[in-house]
Amino acid sequence: MIEVDSLAAIRSGNRILDAVTLTVAEGTVTTLVGPSGGGKSTLLRCLNGLETFAEGRVTIAGHTLVAGEHPPRALERVRRDVGMVFQGFNLFPHLSAIDNVTLAPRIVRGVPAPEARSRGLDLLERVGLARFAEARPATLSGGQQQRVAIARSLAMEPRVMLFDEPTSALDPQMSAEVLDVIVELARGGQTMVVVTHDHGFARRAATQVVELVAGRVHRAGPAAEILAGAGG
Amino acid sequence: MTPARQRGRRCRPWWLLAAVWLLAAVPVDGLAAELDEVLARGELVWAADQEGGGPHVYVDPEHPTRLIGFEVELAAMLAAELGVKARFQQGQWDRLPLLLGRAADCVINGFESTPERARDWRCSRPYFAYALQLVARRDSPLDSLEALAKEGPRGPWRVGVLTGSAAEIEIRRRSDLAVEVIGYDGTVDCLEQVRGRVLDAVLMDDCIATFNADRFGELRGVGRPFAGGTYTILTAPDTPRLSAAIDDALGRLITDGRLKALYDRWDLAGRQQMLLLRDAAEVPPARRGSLADLIRGALPLLLRSAGMTILLSVASFPLAILIGLSVAVGRLHGPAWLRPFLAGYVEILRGTPLMLQLYALFFLLPKAGLALPAIVAAILGLAMNYSAYESEIYRAGLKAVPAGQFEAALALGMTKWQSLRHVLVPQAVRIVMPPVTSDFIALFKDTSVCSAITVIELTKRYSVLALSTGRIAELAIVTALLYLAMSWPLSLLSRWFERRLERRSERAPG
Repeated sequence: MIEVDSLAAIRSGNRILDAVTLTVAEGTVTTLVGPSGGGKSTLLRCLNGLETFAEGRVTIAGHTLVAGEHPPRALERVRRDVGMVFQGFNLFPHLSAIDNVTLAPRIVRGVPAPEARSRGLDLLERVGLARFAEARPATLSGGQQQRVAIARSLAMEPRVMLFDEPTSALDPQMSAEVLDVIVELARGGQTMVVVTHDHGFARRAATQVVELVAGRVHRAGPAAEILAGAGG
Repeated sequence: MTPARQRGRRCRPWWLLAAVWLLAAVPVDGLAAELDEVLARGELVWAADQEGGGPHVYVDPEHPTRLIGFEVELAAMLAAELGVKARFQQGQWDRLPLLLGRAADCVINGFESTPERARDWRCSRPYFAYALQLVARRDSPLDSLEALAKEGPRGPWRVGVLTGSAAEIEIRRRSDLAVEVIGYDGTVDCLEQVRGRVLDAVLMDDCIATFNADRFGELRGVGRPFAGGTYTILTAPDTPRLSAAIDDALGRLITDGRLKALYDRWDLAGRQQMLLLRDAAEVPPARRGSLADLIRGALPLLLRSAGMTILLSVASFPLAILIGLSVAVGRLHGPAWLRPFLAGYVEILRGTPLMLQLYALFFLLPKAGLALPAIVAAILGLAMNYSAYESEIYRAGLKAVPAGQFEAALALGMTKWQSLRHVLVPQAVRIVMPPVTSDFIALFKDTSVCSAITVIELTKRYSVLALSTGRIAELAIVTALLYLAMSWPLSLLSRWFERRLERRSERAPG
């Protein structure tokens, strides 16, 4: 489902990713762990073209991104099949929860409004927020916002989901709500890559753990193997 | 001998006027209406400035909806001679000739025959003889024309004139006088300033001085009228047959005595005698009409002009927002080659006066073959000028939307334009609502500048009424109240938006 081959990214002269190679099989969960500044988020953002890379190649959900600037059309095609959830939620504050969820299906996929709405309500139900459908993001708690953000990504029926530290901005209670939703998705066979500091989650849900240190793959393998002895 | 100080008190955009005049001197091709066109239209459009006042063309203080004056009647007589109706076209006095061939067939408004005018326009035979009269306060030490040669108690005598008039040319030519010449847009303005002791005296056509003598009882003529001349009717250089027809008609009015009857009716000769007698005996001037009557008469006119102010604002501002938003989006997200052009657009429109832009649209664009009606030029000018400011506001608004919003939209597979349309712009519009509303109020008041291109809106109407009735303060209060009644609801709206936005940001988690 995802193949990263010899990826290198350079920012202001520093190789912040170097010779990164990894494979994610369909229906599996990969967590990216490692110290801050190790390149986890950058790698994740290279997967859907939010960042460019200088060397190597990424194949994801049947699309290939090569080094350098990507043409907008190619990026749009990749992103339709690859969802992303951000640390800061990034819900659209001027739209209600349900409109956040239905916007992209309507304007990108051309789904008719009633159909998008009924599917959107199903998704909000799935993340436990059906009764907040008409609420503005500002009136929701952080955990609720992040769950709406997950529903928003799922509405595009992505083949791959990318999570960029989805619980770092949340207290433990809210983190648990969000992680439950992500674990549930993983059990349903959603292919996903999760950047996290939460080793508990990695142990609980990850098929594969990749540890990035200073832009390189330090270790990679099953969770039990990589995280043995590590705290958390 | 003190050299004459000849500086304008008000900072006039003289270079601007010079540029407009210069371009106006280039003959206009194919735009002027020739005689056959006037006949076919059934209307002779004549231009004058009703703000210039009586006895030429002014608003009847008894019936403020009516325009009167000896030139109003002369225009009607001339049109009748041609077998058509007369239609009045308003314009600012010193720029009336620029309307020739565009908005007017001829100018009948006390334009003195000068060699320059004969060179640039077609001039009819004289229709009125004037002389220049110096007017000062009764208690002024300035008691004779000879006294102008020496400085007064406060330095050089401050003398007001109508900009572009023969009086201005005459007094500026006289280097032997100890005077500071100050140009005004209207002669009645000057009389007010003499009464208010801002000016020592005003030099004007004698018929205007005698006409206003009752309203300005504190003032009197100093010395005898001097340096006379004649008024002429101006037509466009490329309308020889219209010009000849007007000239012939005028000749008939003179020879058969109808012009003299007109002047007798207006008492344009005998009245001066009576004033000399009155001043000699110090008879108090006549009283003015009642304020209630004036306001009853003026209010409908002011309200109608307020309607024009509203029309200009509500037609131009949405356009300004539309252009401004497009320019802002183009500068931030458009193709790289486009950005310098958009930046140039903003800088040029922000860096030049609104009035210059209006002149360009109304007076210069016709030279390029695109003649816009005044109201269209006004709306377009206001919209373009304000679009520059709005684009800067929207640019700031778009930048204030967090970068994560754009990324979230792109990550969902939206194109750049979809992200802008559905995510970034709606948020930016909300963010900038207070400054944009505030700009709308500013534009609303800036509509008054449009009077420079012949659009009569509230301020211009006030100015015309105030000068013709002398009720400057009273009408100013009525006009100010009208402006407030219109702009205050807008202020409330703007504050409501601000409060709403504040409440929303308070609710948002940090």
